[in-house]
Amino acid sequence: MPEITAAIDETGANKLLDTAIAQIGTQTKSGTGNLGPFVASYTVQGTLTNGSVDLIPPGTIRIVDLRLDWHIDLNFGIDLSAILPDFCLPQVCIDIPCVGTVCTPKICIDWPTITVPVSFGDFVKTTADFGLLISLSGGKWKVQAVIQGVPNLQFGASSAALLAAIGLAVTPLLLAIPFIGPFLAIAVDTILAAIAVAGVTGFLGPIITPFVSGIMIPIYEQPQLFRVLPAAGPVDPEVDITIDTIAADVAHNGNEDELVLTADISP
Amino acid sequence: MLEVLDSRALRRTDCYGQRFMKAGTYRYHIVSPQADLITDERPFAIEVVGNELTAHMQQHTVIVRRDGGRFKPDQENVKIRAGDLVLWNCPDSALPYMIAGDKEFFSSYRLTNECGYSHAFGTSGEFHWIDAFGSKASGVVRVKNPDGKERADIERWRQTLAKGAIVMVTGDKAEPREIDIVMGQTVFFAVSKGPGISITDARLLRDSKR
Repeated sequence: MPEITAAIDETGANKLLDTAIAQIGTQTKSGTGNLGPFVASYTVQGTLTNGSVDLIPPGTIRIVDLRLDWHIDLNFGIDLSAILPDFCLPQVCIDIPCVGTVCTPKICIDWPTITVPVSFGDFVKTTADFGLLISLSGGKWKVQAVIQGVPNLQFGASSAALLAAIGLAVTPLLLAIPFIGPFLAIAVDTILAAIAVAGVTGFLGPIITPFVSGIMIPIYEQPQLFRVLPAAGPVDPEVDITIDTIAADVAHNGNEDELVLTADISP
Repeated sequence: MLEVLDSRALRRTDCYGQRFMKAGTYRYHIVSPQADLITDERPFAIEVVGNELTAHMQQHTVIVRRDGGRFKPDQENVKIRAGDLVLWNCPDSALPYMIAGDKEFFSSYRLTNECGYSHAFGTSGEFHWIDAFGSKASGVVRVKNPDGKERADIERWRQTLAKGAIVMVTGDKAEPREIDIVMGQTVFFAVSKGPGISITDARLLRDSKR
């Protein structure tokens, strides 16, 4: 028999995980990724919110509708000359009174490279199963819920919305480029077709998924050696105990599933 | 690559044309605007032969290229007859440049006599041009977007691009003072006689004064 046993039901587990997940806070990461044929640099932030906890014996905590709110700032360059053919102004001949005719040469324009900044945010929800990981490190016992496997996050709607945001970001940049005006729609369509929803999903997936796939939720943390009673005088020293072992499990007890924590201690 | 209307700083859709009325050798350089003040080097030449003006002006086009960080004409020496016109264009550089001759009249930076500056307008809007050197020469070019976005509209627009417009500048008078064109069309500013002017978007001068 363990010397200490603590147990909470699903309602308690919900409250515990609400707090524990909120304490993870907003996570940020930066890097580069392939956005279709373009290379984009990004900074992404993700914040998790607890969903509905289902305790499943033995040993599984399932969170339904675990929500990740994410926001991404990305920048990518588009070499327009790589996706649009050069545009050529024809020779223009002008009669100058009393002088004669002057002709400009045919002038071809290679399109510039533009840098597109896009800021976009959305959320995804997923159902994820967590196992329990117990560790003693640096004189501290830790119990964490560790996600099992890589959740399949659905980015379909987000990808389409981000692609639309890219279209909106690109349009004013293109409008400032001389001679592109009549070809604006062609240019925007070409860029969006080059990226496509699949390109956005392929970009977002590896960036956003680690916010969930790498998640470890702190459930319990306690120094292995801790004070039970403070010193009351020179002849009454403080009382310390040592937690020798900790175990955690999801167990069925009576009518309820419970998250159970047990500990063995010694003076 | 933004729309810049300024004859002092030629860009890829600009041309500078100069007639040479008297026989002689006119040396010049192609450099960044005002860099002619840094160097006396004039490595290229226009050799003008014949003392009588030709009945029909001939045009000689010199294409300028960027070569190892320098501007270089496709013909270093051009032989022409008196009264002929030489026209320069650099299609492959986003960097502005000027044609700097060894005579006062021979400079794209300051248009003086029997010369011209052409500019193809790539964006719509109203362009108020003035002389950056302070004369009263000025005018307005209104550039409208092409009508329609259908395939046929775009094809029709492309056909209009071969048609240019002319503004004659004599002294500080521009004629016509206001013109309307469609985006992509070219305006040739022909300077027959003047104190040495520029065709400069007024906004550039306002910006530089800030």
